[in-house]
Amino acid sequence: MTYASLWPRVEEHIGRVERPSRYIDREWGARHDEDAGYRSVLIYPDTYEIGQANQAIAILYGQLNALDDVYAERAYLPWLDMIGEMREAGIPLFSLESCSPVREFDLVGITVPYELTYSNILETLDLAGIPLRAENRSESDPLVVGGGPSVYNPEPFAPFFDAILIGEGEEAVADIVATHRAAKAAGSSRAELLRHLAGIPGVYVPSLYAVRTHADGTYAGTTPIDAAPACVIKRVVADLDAVRAPVDTIVPFMDVVHDRYGLEVLRGCSRGCRFCQAGMVYRPVRERSADTIVRDVMSGLACTGYDEVSLTSLSTTDHSQIEEVLRRLRRRLEGSGVSVSLPSLRVDSFGVEMARLISAGGKKSGLTLAPEAGTQRMRDVINKNVTEEALLESVTAAFEAGWRRVKLYFMIGLPTETDADVSAIGQLVNKVLAVAREATPPGARGSVRVAVSVSTFVPKAQTPFQWEPQIALDEVHRRHGILRDTMPRKGVELHYHDAEVSFLEGVMARGGRAVADSIEEAWRSGARFDAWTERFQLGRWLDAFAATGVDPQAIANRERSTDEPLVWQHISAGVSARYLVRERERAFAEKTTPDCSFVGCTSCDVCDELGVDVVLGGASRG
Amino acid sequence: MASSEFRLRVRYGKVARLRWLSHLEVIHALERSIRRAGLNYAITQGFNPHMKVSFGPALPVGTAGENEYLDVWLTRYTDAAELLDKLRSTTPADLAPQEARYVADKEPSLGAALNIAKYSVDVTGEESEVRQVRAALEELVNTGTLSIEHKGKQKVFDLVRSLPKEPRVEDRDEGCSVLLAIRMGPEGSLRPEMLVREALRGATLSAVVAHTTRSDLLIENDEGVWTRPV
Repeated sequence: MTYASLWPRVEEHIGRVERPSRYIDREWGARHDEDAGYRSVLIYPDTYEIGQANQAIAILYGQLNALDDVYAERAYLPWLDMIGEMREAGIPLFSLESCSPVREFDLVGITVPYELTYSNILETLDLAGIPLRAENRSESDPLVVGGGPSVYNPEPFAPFFDAILIGEGEEAVADIVATHRAAKAAGSSRAELLRHLAGIPGVYVPSLYAVRTHADGTYAGTTPIDAAPACVIKRVVADLDAVRAPVDTIVPFMDVVHDRYGLEVLRGCSRGCRFCQAGMVYRPVRERSADTIVRDVMSGLACTGYDEVSLTSLSTTDHSQIEEVLRRLRRRLEGSGVSVSLPSLRVDSFGVEMARLISAGGKKSGLTLAPEAGTQRMRDVINKNVTEEALLESVTAAFEAGWRRVKLYFMIGLPTETDADVSAIGQLVNKVLAVAREATPPGARGSVRVAVSVSTFVPKAQTPFQWEPQIALDEVHRRHGILRDTMPRKGVELHYHDAEVSFLEGVMARGGRAVADSIEEAWRSGARFDAWTERFQLGRWLDAFAATGVDPQAIANRERSTDEPLVWQHISAGVSARYLVRERERAFAEKTTPDCSFVGCTSCDVCDELGVDVVLGGASRG
Repeated sequence: MASSEFRLRVRYGKVARLRWLSHLEVIHALERSIRRAGLNYAITQGFNPHMKVSFGPALPVGTAGENEYLDVWLTRYTDAAELLDKLRSTTPADLAPQEARYVADKEPSLGAALNIAKYSVDVTGEESEVRQVRAALEELVNTGTLSIEHKGKQKVFDLVRSLPKEPRVEDRDEGCSVLLAIRMGPEGSLRPEMLVREALRGATLSAVVAHTTRSDLLIENDEGVWTRPV
């Protein structure tokens, strides 16, 4: 089925907006299969340059287009200038490849990357002309399915989706399409389709879950309706090597975020940092083998023509064969001008050695280390298994190797944090500066820089700290004051993550379904592109919470009891509640827990629950 | 310049939707095409090694180009026709290379050599008949200069110098096309659509500029002869 292209109408407007290349399609690698019987569109709810390099979309784009008679296109939220033009001219949100109206597709997949994109999801739906809430959609509306990193507490945005995929999409997406196609062929109603979808492992159909509240309005529980499962358990792919990584990915014209070929070398991280949601929800660790990585990097570079490849994952230097991979790639890429980059480094000399290996002969990429906290006590609480000694050693190694700038990540507001822990950050930075200067030739010491980036801890669902209070805004400002007073000035660039942004993240991270009303209210009063600092206004959100009867402090700043029902408890990442509680207790006892991919099992239960295993170097550990 | 390098000059287009690319986007896209084609390109020496490639004068966002040029230095000699085939198979259709020839290393750079640009400016809307637009242009050109405010700065162009040929106006389905040759200089070149807009404004015509296309880039030698760079 073909649709009329909106392109002639779109082109009338793109000469009047910033960066028209956001809207033109025709990139290398874009697919055109407009005769397919089933049409889907994958949407990243932010601008093209933010969403284009998203690897999940690249994977799903490849998987869907490989299905017989199925076509997947892309769409992004246009920037405000273009939205203004489109709304005035009555042009709805369009896909890039065929420039078709998004509302005419069979399947609309929207990725949910981050808490502050929730208002953009509404802008996306509204601009597409799709009713905002699943309950208001008719038989002629597309099936709207969400997925992505933020689904481990889907409740704040649940009413806007017909279905939400919890977990990894490589295999699940084909199940969703097959179920939808079968329902269409059978002439099933939308309600019947949703019931079928709820039967697919990992698929959460919010309308099939009733939220119960106590008389005082507090949350009592979530009950499945009909045959929907009581708990939706995330989907995982057992063996990454069995799913070919996309090598013929789209090569944008525009200068986008992460404008390079990205290859996922491993998935999951079991270092077990207790604040880290990604570390809990992407378990277990599954590595691609060195052979597969080298093969896919070489074919990815050949297919795309990029001059840089990034080996992506939550912790690439933890790959058991990383040294071999880097040496082989360096040999293969010698003389081609192609560089290799790693997104993050371990805080030890091995990490620095790896950075040296990739930058030898080329430019030095930035060096970023994440000690996260200033004292050993605090690092033990969060299970960040890094010592001050290791940090100072890696800084020394880096500056001896020629780096002149290092970036350090810290958090404030961690559970049990005292003022002494906060001021210790400044003291640690001072030590870092001292060893960095020491390792630098005297003539160059003036150029030594330490960038310090401090964020506020936001407790996240499905982590050992999911019950903890987030520190209140006033308290954040007070602790920022301590940081300012104790941080060395010369040679330090201090940057804070906006406290108000962190507060809203906290509300979204653990809010229940009632927060959907607040999101809709905030969007109606103009909230969109909240992740763009200059567009974010906390006042608009506070007004929206007040207007919809939601107490944001009770969500973000309240301590929960471990026996109180949690609004996301019908969603499981496979890690057991028993493990989360135990890790919380160990945190308060300042006891660390080792990484199960290096030592034995630490009983998070994810492997048993999901029927998978840790895979190192492409081989199951058994 | 290393004597073992071979300088390949490629003529390509920037047409249809890809007119909306910026010059930097075109450069990146074609560098990536060259890499995909597996050409043995030379690498610059220095702190940040990159492909040795050089482009002709920039085209603005929204302006198409039918005959644009780049030079890429190769470390190995391969038949140019073979390289053209490879490049065509690895380049988005609307940027496709049309011709590839080796040129001598001693030739001046594209930026220095190309000094004439031919344009076609499509005019559309009410009052866009050939005779109206032609009269408007004549009136402006006869004044001898064009003063344009760009980003808060006033720029004055000598139209006798900037327009080596008499502009022509041709009939088109919806309106007309203004055909111009513009002499480019190091001090900045006259934007053809600016000239046409100014002419329409001066004659109070309500016609508007739809699209601008650079149809050719040429080298004018000391004798005043115009030739293509390949």
